Amino acid sequence: MSVSAFYQRFERHAKGLGIKGHSTHYCPGCGHGLVHKYLGESIDELGVQDRTIAVSPVGCSVFLYYYMDVGNTQSAHGRAPVVALGHKLANPESVVISYQGDGDLASIGLAETFHAAQVGMPITVIFINNAIYGMTGGQMAPTTLLGQETATTPRGRDRTAGLPMRMAELIAQLDGPVYVERVALFGAKQREKAKKAIKKAVRLQVENKGYSFVEVLSECPTHLKMTPPEAEEWVKENMVPIFPLGVMKDVSDSITSEMEFKPFTPSFEVEKVRDLILEGAEEKVPRHAAAFPEHIAKEDVSLKLAGAGGDGAQTAALLLTRMAINEGLDSTHIPSYGPESRGGTSYADVHIARQEVLSPASPQPNILVAFNAPSLVKFGPNVAPDGIIIYDSSVIADPPSINGNVKMYGVPFTEIAVKIGRRVIKNVVALGALQAVTELFPEETFLEAIRQALAAKCAMIPMNEEAFRWGRKAVLEGMED
Amino acid sequence: MDPKVAKLKEKPKPFLFPEFCKGCGRCIGSCRFGCITEGTEINPETGLIPVVLDLEKCSGCGLCASACPEPFGLFMRVVDVEEIAKEDLEGVHTFQEMVELFDKADFELTDPSELFGPRETEAPEPEPIPDQWIPFSHDEPLVLKGNYASAVGAILAGCRHVYGYPITPSTEGAELMAKLQPLMDGVFFQAVSEVATVNMMYGTGGAGLPCMTFTSSPGFSLMLEGISYMVGAELPAVFVNIMRGGPGLGNIGPEQADLKLACRGLGHGNSHAIVITPSTPQEMLDLTMLAFELAFKYRNPVIILGDGYLGQMTGRVNLPDKMKKPGIPEWAVYGDLSHRRNLICSIALSEADLERHNIHLNAKYAEMAANEQRADLFHTDDADVLVVAATTPARMAKGAVQELRNQGIKAGLFRPITVWPFPVDLLKPLLEGARRIVMVEASNGQLEDELRLALSKEGVHPPPIQHVRHFGGVLPQQEEIVEAVRKGEEAAK
Ligand code: SF4
Ligand code: SF4
Ligand code: SF4
Repeated sequence: MSVSAFYQRFERHAKGLGIKGHSTHYCPGCGHGLVHKYLGESIDELGVQDRTIAVSPVGCSVFLYYYMDVGNTQSAHGRAPVVALGHKLANPESVVISYQGDGDLASIGLAETFHAAQVGMPITVIFINNAIYGMTGGQMAPTTLLGQETATTPRGRDRTAGLPMRMAELIAQLDGPVYVERVALFGAKQREKAKKAIKKAVRLQVENKGYSFVEVLSECPTHLKMTPPEAEEWVKENMVPIFPLGVMKDVSDSITSEMEFKPFTPSFEVEKVRDLILEGAEEKVPRHAAAFPEHIAKEDVSLKLAGAGGDGAQTAALLLTRMAINEGLDSTHIPSYGPESRGGTSYADVHIARQEVLSPASPQPNILVAFNAPSLVKFGPNVAPDGIIIYDSSVIADPPSINGNVKMYGVPFTEIAVKIGRRVIKNVVALGALQAVTELFPEETFLEAIRQALAAKCAMIPMNEEAFRWGRKAVLEGMED
Repeated sequence: MDPKVAKLKEKPKPFLFPEFCKGCGRCIGSCRFGCITEGTEINPETGLIPVVLDLEKCSGCGLCASACPEPFGLFMRVVDVEEIAKEDLEGVHTFQEMVELFDKADFELTDPSELFGPRETEAPEPEPIPDQWIPFSHDEPLVLKGNYASAVGAILAGCRHVYGYPITPSTEGAELMAKLQPLMDGVFFQAVSEVATVNMMYGTGGAGLPCMTFTSSPGFSLMLEGISYMVGAELPAVFVNIMRGGPGLGNIGPEQADLKLACRGLGHGNSHAIVITPSTPQEMLDLTMLAFELAFKYRNPVIILGDGYLGQMTGRVNLPDKMKKPGIPEWAVYGDLSHRRNLICSIALSEADLERHNIHLNAKYAEMAANEQRADLFHTDDADVLVVAATTPARMAKGAVQELRNQGIKAGLFRPITVWPFPVDLLKPLLEGARRIVMVEASNGQLEDELRLALSKEGVHPPPIQHVRHFGGVLPQQEEIVEAVRKGEEAAK
């Protein structure tokens, strides 16, 4: 026997002084020590000591890291399997063991337990089921048997305290795990099986086959108030009928190489990173505007685009922001969000500033684009003096009158869009109208931004350009009238 | 102890140092030949009664050793003891005696536990693998949402591990990561909850790699336990909390009501973290990059607080001129030989140890407070009135200050970029001139509490403080800030 996987001296156990340097903190006869040994032997035999990380739980085995000469992480109560996933994803070549007791795995950490199992990533979960809370002093565990007396079930566990959780069976029900077995520590034969199961569970991880789970029926002689040999007998007589031993699931042989977990190394190639970040936005867009549109506002033009969800107010607003930034200006867009924007009103505030947008909200916009009547009613009265309102006259027949020298332009966004063939394109019609009415930026600035935004959907460009032109035309012709 | 076993060279035989036997008796029943019996004598060193071995009939089957729960308990001796004189072994009864014997025999055993067999490898002293900065160039500004800008900043800071649970209004950051990370062989992983998220970060942060999450207020509440563990275990990670309206489920509008959590309530224990409050998409990028730097510099989580508006706000964003390829710090549990010695944990059983650890953490906090205060000052030099605001409300406040200046009122904006540590060193000199402070907040004065506490610790009595406060997703607007400042000025006259 070799115990390389154990420290030569348990320096972390009471500083490794005296006897404690070579003995565990566990009570005499506690099953934890045996499982530690089998785990240590498995790690040795598989030759993976250097890349193993043991994640210890909260419970009696919290100090697993006193003993195992591997990378060690001690985790919060119940979270060991996801801490293990965090390690595995950080270094897919590492061999990560989540070692947990029944309170940790089957009570407080149930969500993490099931999730990690179903994710199926190759980690090894060792579950010590001793039917009681050891560390906190003998309280009921989720696996405590009916009738079993504990500190919190002094008259024995009854049904109102819940029934024992059969974790191996539950885990085996999931599609994620490749191997699930329940073993025990009473008698030489069971111990041999336990050792084999633990080794297999680690091996399947080393082979990238997937997630393995070994439940070990273990003895807590202290809180069973028995001698260790009596506790072994108790586990055999009382626990096995409720927690039957054996393999609950083993599909490890049917894991093909395609199904295996593939270790990966993140890329830091500068070209790749840049391309991904830019996503095609890299091409330089020429500037067309001669100056800041100070005929609308001196330093900062504020706009509001409002309509119902699906009117495309946000997209149009984003295009305006993009245009402004293409023109070397500062710009912001903030959408109204919230359940009310889904199907209800959706409005966008846009600022375009010569230097810097200070406040990004548009409570009193210079320009309002209204896609429906409620928006016009709601925001129309707030438009700044000498401001401009452009609304969809296809859906707003009777625009309210707005004071303050505000100019109003009705353009049939929807009608035009439908004529072109796509109702949803009405926001681009609106942009065309906006350009013609306000001359915020030259026509080419608008078209450039539209093309840029549709770079990935080139086929859509002509129709959008057409919509834009029709929107302009409607205004220009209306002006001639 | 019967050293007779030493004579039997063909087959290993069990061996036991009595001081490592707890007398549990598990080995007794495992021997078919009755070689092991209950002891009667108390071992003076342990106070326990070790079993007694009589190996006359022993077959060397090893079942007793595999029944013994103690790593240094019953073991099958593999050491070739032929080199040691038989008579010498006769007197050996304890572990200590064995060690002494081997020392005397000039045996090449520096550590007695080598008795248990050869060791595969020895873990070396861990060494750091340094970070690398790679030049990066792109001149044209991008048009990005605040949440996206933060994600881009994280990517450029070398973050390839993003965990999260979807929660509005922070999801865009996660969604962009879900799209981009796999293309860089990085990880975006949707965890089962925020609790799982923070613990996955504990694992990846423990492995020494940069990792992050995007979350929003209720999710952040759930992460606090894990953040406390990370602070205790000294792990780096970046949490972007796009604050929304509360308490409870509240709504998804912008609020600033988690300042108290981030500054004063990071889970249980004496925890603190640097808390950064960007106010533009550009800052979402720049300060996310900074957050990773600080997280590793101090081995501590860093919290970025934005608000629903900032996360959703699209604006102009310039990219930095370099990106990072992270190394592996020497303290990490990476899962390789060079880091095998390491331990990530937040437990310290002895009171003295835990006090020492807390003193160490507090020294770090003091260092953060001394070095990491940041604030943006706008028209503050000659300001009579200081408007103080962070995140999006700071932009409304900036607009207001500009307007007030246009009206001839000497207002200035003090915008904390770190709210913990509160940039009190930058604020103090301004209070020599300022007669009043106007706090603009989307909370019930949580920023004001930080300001007051920081000033009070400095022994500075603040001038009168006025507030403009909103809740529930309503943000203070420029006009009402202007109004409030004007009213205050008139009242002062
Ligand atoms: S309390 Fe029970 S589980 Fe804990 S160490 Fe003692 S025997 Fe083992
Ligand atoms: S090795 Fe086998 S025969 Fe010998 S003492 Fe141990 S259990 Fe008995
Ligand atoms: S199993 Fe080990 S600790 Fe228990 S009595 Fe036997 S030798 Fe001693």
